[in-house]
Amino acid sequence: MKQKSGSIGPVFRSLMGDEKRQKITIPLLAILLSLLAGAIVFLLLGKNPLTGYVSFLRGSGLVPKANYAAHKNMFTDFMSFVNAWTPMLFASLAVAVAMRSGLFNIGVSGQMLLAGLAATLTVGYSGLPAAVAKPLVLIICAVTGALVASLIGFLKYKWNISEVVSSIMLNYIIRYWVSFCVKLPGISDPKTRQSMPINPNARLSLMDTEIFGLKIDIPLGIILALAAVFLIRFLFDKMRLGFEFRAIGANPKAAKYAGINVGRNLVASMAISGALAGLAGATYFLGYVGSIQPDTLISTGFDAIAVCVLGNSTPLGILLSSFFISVIDKGSTYMSSSVGVRQEIGALIKGLILLFSACGAYFSYLIERSRQKALESAGVTQSGKEEERV
Amino acid sequence: MMMDTLHTLIVETLPFALPLFIMAIGGIYSERSGVTNLAVEGLQGFGAFMGAFAAVLVVKKFMFFAPDSQMPMYIALLFAFLGGMLFATIHSVLCVKFKANQVISGVVINILATALTGFLTSQLNESIFGAASSQFKLIPSARFSVPLLSQIPILGAFFTNVYPFEVIIIVVALSAWYVLYKTPFGMHLRACGDNPHAVDAAGVDVGRVRFLAVMLSGGLSGLGGICFAYSLSVQFSPSIYMGYGYLAIAALIFGNWQILPTLGSCLIFGFARAAGYNLPLIYDMPVAFKDLFMILPYVVTLLLLVFFSKSNRAPRALGEIYDKGKR
Repeated sequence: MKQKSGSIGPVFRSLMGDEKRQKITIPLLAILLSLLAGAIVFLLLGKNPLTGYVSFLRGSGLVPKANYAAHKNMFTDFMSFVNAWTPMLFASLAVAVAMRSGLFNIGVSGQMLLAGLAATLTVGYSGLPAAVAKPLVLIICAVTGALVASLIGFLKYKWNISEVVSSIMLNYIIRYWVSFCVKLPGISDPKTRQSMPINPNARLSLMDTEIFGLKIDIPLGIILALAAVFLIRFLFDKMRLGFEFRAIGANPKAAKYAGINVGRNLVASMAISGALAGLAGATYFLGYVGSIQPDTLISTGFDAIAVCVLGNSTPLGILLSSFFISVIDKGSTYMSSSVGVRQEIGALIKGLILLFSACGAYFSYLIERSRQKALESAGVTQSGKEEERV
Repeated sequence: MMMDTLHTLIVETLPFALPLFIMAIGGIYSERSGVTNLAVEGLQGFGAFMGAFAAVLVVKKFMFFAPDSQMPMYIALLFAFLGGMLFATIHSVLCVKFKANQVISGVVINILATALTGFLTSQLNESIFGAASSQFKLIPSARFSVPLLSQIPILGAFFTNVYPFEVIIIVVALSAWYVLYKTPFGMHLRACGDNPHAVDAAGVDVGRVRFLAVMLSGGLSGLGGICFAYSLSVQFSPSIYMGYGYLAIAALIFGNWQILPTLGSCLIFGFARAAGYNLPLIYDMPVAFKDLFMILPYVVTLLLLVFFSKSNRAPRALGEIYDKGKR
């Protein structure tokens, strides 16, 4: 056993690379480990893991299926995948901005929900033309999210209340408040028990649009989300504000000593984070779904924390990790029906990926330790040889 | 009318407040040892899953007991405790051994618990019990009223329609209180949350104390989870993840990370919920009003944090990864 680890060690170390390369290799290792664990689950159920994984890709429109329903093909599948991916991308970016300045915005789900409610009640049921309604939805959602999140930042700055605790309280205050509103007569749809479907003019995804004989879901929000990836990248890498966020995140005391206004920056980073969460809410409740379900706090905001960690909290990393997690989310329905296993396997694999990604710090510690040991033993053998020579 | 209403509300308060209380004690164990525990939600769900599975297994598969026997419930309580401890090991390993971020670990464990129990419930139902179902149906727990005591006006409500698990929770809570405040282990645990370096200097292994504390936290949460399964819905299903784990965290913060005040906050929260569920029925209001009542615990906790931020004392080393070399 020991010999084996000795022979694998150097290969493993060189594969994982130095600290810079580990930023990519460690998330990949986490994904690999969880896919292996998922493969074991598939095998235990007596299914071929490879077919299982490919059908996740088929369900997300990345690999062609054997046959399609009328007006559907791989492209329409891909577009409805993008429709589901957009809110996840926004939500993960929201977490990343807060994390940059050392804050955990675990209130993303609540911010999404309140933003969704605000826009649904104000614009969703109005008869405004699409050209007015859609931008208005985006503005209302971003502002609502920003207000809720900056309240969290303000509480942290003013009374030093942990943002984790206040986020949890606000999550549930919002959850019950939204349930109350959605259940009111006139808003509640007696058939679905959700809120009444919003006016298509206000919806950010054009559902089942006929183009060239295909019925396509066109998520307009994705353009904005992709733009946000590069804007946040610009904010982090090129702007003074982004630098100040990072300084505070690394060491708030040192940042204060260097003359950075910590309080203002905390509120600012939470406001930006909340605005992104609000946009996630807009693209989820007024795009992907089109209505609000009472008594539920969607899991997107919590998943987003782990997606952000998997993507190293950098915008480009998140672009990839959120894409990947959404493939598993969205593809699990088709995987379930075509392979004949439970849909919950998708959620299980997702949970495993997130679990392994949380171990990232430990992986890099292991790599570092094995390197140290290799150096030590190399040193020992060398000095041993020298002694022999003497 | 007023008296009757009050009586009903008190009777309905305890079956909710006590499971919440034992979960909050679980949270206190973990947080007083310095490990942030947002995983209470997932731990209670996994505990409830294990307990419910054990109960269904002994009844349906092995048919050990008479159909009306209450024994499966006690087995469920035991296995819920063990299941919670088992799942909490993940949090222990991640936070103590792997030195992962405690908030992230907690969130991830909640995601994993929801996914894993959802998958296992359906899969086990199909492969062991031969039924396609996403829930484990439990045998309703008997309730009893204490003779004489339950006749006292108002106070008697505390002794009316009592679930057996309420008695167990009180016993467990008393032991948990004793261990935390009166034993050397409890002292080490509390010291780990305030000054781990001093604990280390005294020759106690900080990692070990924290590891155990988190596991106990999981066991207590699991116990709370199965009690919820019995009192709220008489089944285990994904609806167990209603966010009551997070409510327990609110309760322990409201109780200033101490067991007795936390009992008070749990009773208040339980009363608010009972009022929310019963008043609309009694006074013929729309059912949606129960949601407004459920907002109260969270608003009050938030306000308390704002107004008593000076006297609110979280464990000083809470959330910090213990690093021997750091000083």
